[in-house]
Amino acid sequence: MARHLRFVARTVMVQDGNVDAAYKHLNRVLTQDGIIETVKRKRYFEKPCRERQRKNYENCKRIYDTEMARKIAFISRTIRTDPWVGS
Amino acid sequence: MFKLTCSIVNSLSTACRQASTKGTSFSRTFHGTAVGFQEVAASSKDSSEASRDFSHFPPLPGHDSPLRWGGKKFEELPILHIKATYNNTHIQLTDCEGQSLVRTSCGTEGFKNIKKSTPVAAQTAAISAAAKATAKGVTFVRVIVKGLGPGRLSAIKGLTMGGLEVVSITDNTPVPHNGCRPRKARRM
Repeated sequence: MARHLRFVARTVMVQDGNVDAAYKHLNRVLTQDGIIETVKRKRYFEKPCRERQRKNYENCKRIYDTEMARKIAFISRTIRTDPWVGS
Repeated sequence: MFKLTCSIVNSLSTACRQASTKGTSFSRTFHGTAVGFQEVAASSKDSSEASRDFSHFPPLPGHDSPLRWGGKKFEELPILHIKATYNNTHIQLTDCEGQSLVRTSCGTEGFKNIKKSTPVAAQTAAISAAAKATAKGVTFVRVIVKGLGPGRLSAIKGLTMGGLEVVSITDNTPVPHNGCRPRKARRM
């Protein structure tokens, strides 16, 4: 980040000297931006074939997870229309 | 170029603040630019913000904020760099221009080899750095952390234990946009 304005991005102010909360906030922001996992992955070189396998696996996992979450939300819903209307 | 960036950042921050005060709800999973995302993250703390007048973002260089620490503005506070590698932790205190004041590391504290790559060693290095800094008359400090090592959090804790006041924490871990090729993968 040497070519950017300093103290603008990836910065968290400390409230009332609560350094732990500020560090947790910073960690959460970095994880959600995907910086921590990028740094961990780039520590060693990842060969292109391994990278393609990993991307494929992550795509499939994402599709599976969203579909499963949809199924679970559908099954565990509480507001349902009455199937035996009238009787 | 700097003024243009400042004006852009100003307009973006005011627009985001207006949007957040109107009560629109952003989920935590919203991704955007760094400044935009920080604005969004703070909108979830709107209630505490309004009562406290505290924002998680630093006062931007173009803005004139009323916050002062020890009579100094945010840009004039000394900077404390923490380089947390996987084998060691370096701590260096510089003033706002960049002149070095204090420099400690786990090695200068008497740890050797594998003991340098521990959180305890980073904590002792931070305590000694804080002691030297208070001897030079420094109280409030901005922290810049670089690297994901074992001493990343414990060094900041050691600073507060040593008596230094941390004002803000910045993460300056180098993220290459596919620059130099790192070493080959370890096979264990």
